[in-house]
Amino acid sequence: MTAIFVLDVPENDGVVRVAEQDPALVVDKVGPYFRVTTGDTDGEIVIDRRATGCRHAVWYSAVAGLQDARIVQHDKDALRAVARRAAR
Amino acid sequence: MNQDEHRVRGVDHAAFPTFDPVATVRFYRDVLRFPVVHSICAAGWGPEQHPDFIHFFFDIGNGDRIAFFYYFGHEPVGDPTARGDAWARLPEGTPEFFANSRHLAIHVDSEEDLLEYRRRLDESEWPVEMQVKHETIESIYTHDPNGYMLELTRALRPVTPQEDLDAALTIEALCEVAARDEPTLEKLLTRKAELIVERAVAWEHDRTTEPSVEQAAAWEHDREVEARVGR
Repeated sequence: MTAIFVLDVPENDGVVRVAEQDPALVVDKVGPYFRVTTGDTDGEIVIDRRATGCRHAVWYSAVAGLQDARIVQHDKDALRAVARRAAR
Repeated sequence: MNQDEHRVRGVDHAAFPTFDPVATVRFYRDVLRFPVVHSICAAGWGPEQHPDFIHFFFDIGNGDRIAFFYYFGHEPVGDPTARGDAWARLPEGTPEFFANSRHLAIHVDSEEDLLEYRRRLDESEWPVEMQVKHETIESIYTHDPNGYMLELTRALRPVTPQEDLDAALTIEALCEVAARDEPTLEKLLTRKAELIVERAVAWEHDRTTEPSVEQAAAWEHDREVEARVGR
């Protein structure tokens, strides 16, 4: 299962909120971390930076872990993670 | 934290060489208003041809100190136009981020205090070069007359317990990944996800349940030690 982990701290609230509002993503908790997955599908995890309201320093340090995931975009526009086997 | 194990008490002094003691005193004593708290006037001695020198100290709060060495008659080496500072000039091609990675950050308690130091610097020959909100701190930066980067910083909020866990997992993953070939952030985050799955649920469970008899006894021991040493 492709997943990214995000630590539960106030600065990351925007990232988690955007993920929770995306019907393609599933968010649950693993201890003090949020786990964002694509559910049972092989889709991508895409988070729009502007929608999160995160300032840059927070945005670029929001990812705490990658499970079967490769980040293919992490810039001022978006964070995009795909399954490792599908990574290009 | 176990007081018997972790006995240090912050920075006694951090020392740097200077070739410009006049500007250094102006910057730290007159602009930042850090008190001069100690100095040593020493004749050169020892096995090498050591120059006469002055070692002088400024209080940076909390009883901690920044110190400088001024060596009489000792001239700087290296290209003075190259990136770097009084201690060393860096080879051509050294990127700015690398040069600035080594710096001293001094703590302030509030936004008001941070802005007061910003005001003092902005009125001087060494204005603030950058004011940045990082993840959980806000900082101002300038370079002192010797080229040393100085940061003044305040916490935007207290550090939470889960950040201590996160730091421990990061460092464990870093040491594993950095010990192997071609370390990358992706490799670190992949290893860290495994550690999160292994440890994070148990960590949270331990924090939210009653302490074991052994843990409670250990905490009681810590409290007794702290009471004995008056903390």
